[in-house]
Amino acid sequence: MGAHISVPMYQRSLPQRYRLVGLKCQKCGKINFPPKGTCKYCRASTEFIEVPLSGKGYVYTYTIIAGGGAPPEFTDQALIQGSYPVAIIQLEEGPRIMAQLVEVEREEIKIGLPVEAVFRRIYEEEGVIRYGYKFRPVVPPCKP
Amino acid sequence: MPEVAIIGAGQTPYGDFPLKGVKELFAEAYQEALASVDKGLDPNLIQALFLGSLSAGNGFQLGQLAPLLAGHVGLPDIPAVRVENACASGGFALLTAVQAIASGAYDLVMAAGVEKMRDVSSVQSKYWLGISGDTEYERLAGSTFAGIYAAMARRYMEEYGLKKEHLALVAVKNHRNGALNPKAQFRREITLETALKGVEVAYPFNIWDCCSTTDGAAVVIICNAKKAKDFTNRPVKIIGWGAGSDYLAIHDRDSLTSLKAVKNAAQTAYQMAGIKPQDIDFAEVHDCFTIAEILAYADLGFCQEGQAHRLLEEGVTSLEGRLPVNASGGLKAKGHPIGATGIGMACEIFHQLRGEAERKERQIRNGRTALSHNVGGSGGSATVFIYQREGE
Ligand SMILES: [Zn+2]
Repeated sequence: MGAHISVPMYQRSLPQRYRLVGLKCQKCGKINFPPKGTCKYCRASTEFIEVPLSGKGYVYTYTIIAGGGAPPEFTDQALIQGSYPVAIIQLEEGPRIMAQLVEVEREEIKIGLPVEAVFRRIYEEEGVIRYGYKFRPVVPPCKP
Repeated sequence: MPEVAIIGAGQTPYGDFPLKGVKELFAEAYQEALASVDKGLDPNLIQALFLGSLSAGNGFQLGQLAPLLAGHVGLPDIPAVRVENACASGGFALLTAVQAIASGAYDLVMAAGVEKMRDVSSVQSKYWLGISGDTEYERLAGSTFAGIYAAMARRYMEEYGLKKEHLALVAVKNHRNGALNPKAQFRREITLETALKGVEVAYPFNIWDCCSTTDGAAVVIICNAKKAKDFTNRPVKIIGWGAGSDYLAIHDRDSLTSLKAVKNAAQTAYQMAGIKPQDIDFAEVHDCFTIAEILAYADLGFCQEGQAHRLLEEGVTSLEGRLPVNASGGLKAKGHPIGATGIGMACEIFHQLRGEAERKERQIRNGRTALSHNVGGSGGSATVFIYQREGE
C-alpha cells in the first residue's frame, strides 16, 4: 500500500526521463520542466512546443540520503552505496529539477558545482528497470 | 458572518499504542473533548464531523472513515467526511469546520484528526511517507521527505549562514518542552551535544532533526460564538484563519527558504483577525523537521526572512521567552500523528489560553492571543489559525 508509479505511468514520462524534453510556452517563451498543463510562468497559455534541454546546469542545493532512510525503490542502491547524494539542479534554460548526483565524492559536492545530465539506471520495480537522468560534475575537456 | 468559538477540546496521549486502533483513539479523544465542556454538552447537538486523516488507519478504512468513526461514538446520523491534505489534514479539517460555522450552515460541529502509524512496518511507512511529496519527480529522484526538507535547510545555510547548531537548538528546545507535557511521545530532554551527533538521516539532518511516527487522535468542538456561553463561560474564539497551497515539488518553487503557502495563509489570518504578528503571545508551529520551525518564524512574521536563527540564539521562542513556540513539545517531541497534528495544536492552545496546562511549569502566563500553523508535506498546503480568549 502507498504511492507507487506503475510501468505505464513511467512510460508516459519517457520523453522527460530519457531526453529531458521540456515544454516551451508559445506566449511567454519560457520553458516548463517537468511539463505543466498551463504555463507556470505566465499562467496564461496552454500552447507549447517540445524542446529538449541541454542537461547543463549547477547544483542549487543538495542532501545526502542515508541508506536506512531511502525510499523503497532505492533500497538496493542504498544497500550497495551506503548513502547517495540528491540535488536540485538549476538548469541553464531556467527550470530546476531534482536528481541524483553521480561520479562525485561527497566532499566535492557544493552549491554552485557545474553539472551535466547523464543517462543512468534509476531503479528497478516489478521486474522492469527504470532508466532516466542523473547529473555528474562537468568534466573539463582534455588539454592537448 | 457568525463568529466561531471553541468550547471543548480533547486529545489522546501521543505515542505508541499497540492495543488501540483508530476507533479507540478517536473515541478517547472525543470523550475527553465532551468532558471538557464546562457546562456539559448533549452529543445530539453535534451537527457534523470533519475528520483529518492521511492514511485512514494505515489503509484500514480508506473509504468512509469519518462515518465509521462517528458511528463508533454514537453519532451515526450526522454528516461526516474525511479531509486530506497530508500532514495538514487536521488543519484543513478544522478550516472546513470553522467555515461551516462561519457560513451559518451549522451552529455546532466537531473537527477531529486521527492517525495510526505505529502499526506500519518501516518499509510500508516509507511508501506512505513518500506520498505527500511529488512522487514522479521528487521520490523517483531517490529523495525522501526528510531529504526534501534537508535540501531546503542546506540552501538556507548557504543564503543566511545558518549553522547545524541552530537546527539542534530547535530540537533541544522542543524536547525540553515535551519533557513537561504528559501527553508528549518523547518526555525527555536532550543536550545540544546529543542533538548534534545523532545518526545521519539526510545531510544536514540527523535523527534529532526529524519527528517520529506516532499514534494519536484529537478533537475540538466548535460553535457559533453567540451560543458559546450556553456551554462554557470561557470559550476561546478563533478570530482569524487562512490557508494556502503551492507546487508540491520544491524544484517548482521560486524560493526554498520560505513557504509561500504559509505566508499566504498567515497574511489572510492576520488580516481577518485585525492583528499583527507582534500581537501573538505564543504559537504552536509545524516542526516536522527542525528547519521547518525556522522557516515558520519568518513566514509567520515573527522576524525578517533569514533572521529566524537569531530568535533561537536569543531564546525568544523558549518557554520563558517573549514568544514561546511549541510549548507542547511540537511535532518533534509531542509527536506527529499526521491527521491529528493540526487539531492537537488547537487543543493545546485552547487549554493554554484557559490556564489549564496539566503542569504549572509548562503553563504560559498571561497569554491572550495565540497562533497555530500546520503544513502539508514540504509546503504544498498550509493552514494558520489565530485564537483569542476573552478579557485582557
Ligand atoms: Zn508562458
